[in-house]
Amino acid sequence: MDVSELRKNAKLQMDGHPFVVTEFNFVKPGKGQGLYKCKLKNMITGATIDRTWRSGERLEAANVESRRMQFLFAGADGFTFMDSENYEQVELSSDLVGDDRNFLLEQLEVEVLFYNNRPVGVTLPSHIVLKIVESEPGVKGDSANNPTKLATLETGYKIQVPLFVKEGERVKIDTRSGEYIERVNG
Amino acid sequence: MPGALSPGPLPWDRRVAVWDAALTAVRGHLRGQGLREVSTPVRVAAPAIEPYIDPIAAPPGWLATSPELAMKRLLCRGSGPIFQLSHVFRRAEVGDRHSEEFHLLEWYRVDAGLAAIERDVEAIVAAVFAAADAIDHGAERAPGRWLKASFFEVFAATTGVVLRGDEDDGALRERLPAGLRAQVWDGRPGPLDSADPGVRSLSAWTAVFSAWSDGHLGPWLSGQVGVGVHLGEFPAALAALSQVEVRGGRAVAHRVESHVGGVELANGYLELRDPAEQRRRFVAVQALRGALGAPGLPLDEGFLAELAGPGLPACVGVALGLDRLVMLACGRRRLQDVTLALGAP
Repeated sequence: MDVSELRKNAKLQMDGHPFVVTEFNFVKPGKGQGLYKCKLKNMITGATIDRTWRSGERLEAANVESRRMQFLFAGADGFTFMDSENYEQVELSSDLVGDDRNFLLEQLEVEVLFYNNRPVGVTLPSHIVLKIVESEPGVKGDSANNPTKLATLETGYKIQVPLFVKEGERVKIDTRSGEYIERVNG
Repeated sequence: MPGALSPGPLPWDRRVAVWDAALTAVRGHLRGQGLREVSTPVRVAAPAIEPYIDPIAAPPGWLATSPELAMKRLLCRGSGPIFQLSHVFRRAEVGDRHSEEFHLLEWYRVDAGLAAIERDVEAIVAAVFAAADAIDHGAERAPGRWLKASFFEVFAATTGVVLRGDEDDGALRERLPAGLRAQVWDGRPGPLDSADPGVRSLSAWTAVFSAWSDGHLGPWLSGQVGVGVHLGEFPAALAALSQVEVRGGRAVAHRVESHVGGVELANGYLELRDPAEQRRRFVAVQALRGALGAPGLPLDEGFLAELAGPGLPACVGVALGLDRLVMLACGRRRLQDVTLALGAP
């Protein structure tokens, strides 16, 4: 693949290992050459590295397959998922799950990634709906500058939401950016 | 936690109001200065050729990557001072500060110098910040003052290296500090190994400029808090479409880049008028594109013919990324938080 196809969550093969792009930043100074500045996570070991590519370079995509599975529970050693068709269970270490743990609620359907038949990561749905379990009431008069407040979701993840969102309500979250999208009614 | 403290997307009602106010402010300033608004076709037969800008094909032509050559042809035909707010397209430029489609505000003044367009940039920045402030009250402050800096001096201050501006790739490599040299000549195959010395030098200068901008200029700019920066006096090797001159032992291009909050906003030239030199530079860029394996692009022969006769009047031109300016004025760090793009593509 060409470097211009790089995005967050792209999977690459480098030095015999599969890597996933966890942070992606494209910079292009003046009329200069584009730089693709990435943080990558080794999908086997969980180790992260920084790598910068330049416009025009080529990369090898990693041969990773995914299976639809359901999140069962978090244990001391990691996170357990089950294949809904054959009931096979697999466990992923906390390192491999990473920040995605912020959005894992029991029974959530995810894609579990396999590299050489080994589970190496999860791909969440791009949007999920979670309940707010704790949030201060909105303060009136503060809406001009920064009309958001901190709220805790049922997974324990903290997020900025608009002042009108109340405890007990459900909100839609973008799992890639970790940001609030909208309140979900009903 | 990702994005937990970012100001987040600008609400849609305010986006619409901010864009309306920004477009009105920009037009108000330029019309007030006696420039006429033009609107040239988005699909062109030959895009402005650049080493690292790839156009999107729209057979039998391309979507314009900038309105520069079309506007210069209008200047050749006697338009006088003009401006344009155009939608431009650059393939595979995607990121927080890049988008494949964006608004380029481009304008030309006749019989003027770079100082005149620097003042325009300052006035437009102030006007758009004021327009945003009226809607998103207290969003962000415009730069309190502007600093004029020379590329050569900032390069020397950040690396300790005094450049001449027209070194070939060998001499340039020799003079660089070890870190920058290793970043550019990193052993990966590319046009730096080309047999064509012109290709080697142009690619070396472009790569050094990118690596230096990212590693040295960026941090230097972030030290200029609340100050807009006009970075002028570029090395002749990075002249692009500007005039060059040898003075004080340096080969200087009359080119200026304006930065606000560490973000590059505008790029201006004292415009090159010599058709032979213009052709030479286009051909050099074509050769570098060939060495990079980039898609081949035709030369704009219509533009070159009009440069030869009737000719381009003495002029300065500048292009400013309007989406970035609106983003800064609204205190955001990502274009997607302020643009009116509704989603894919």
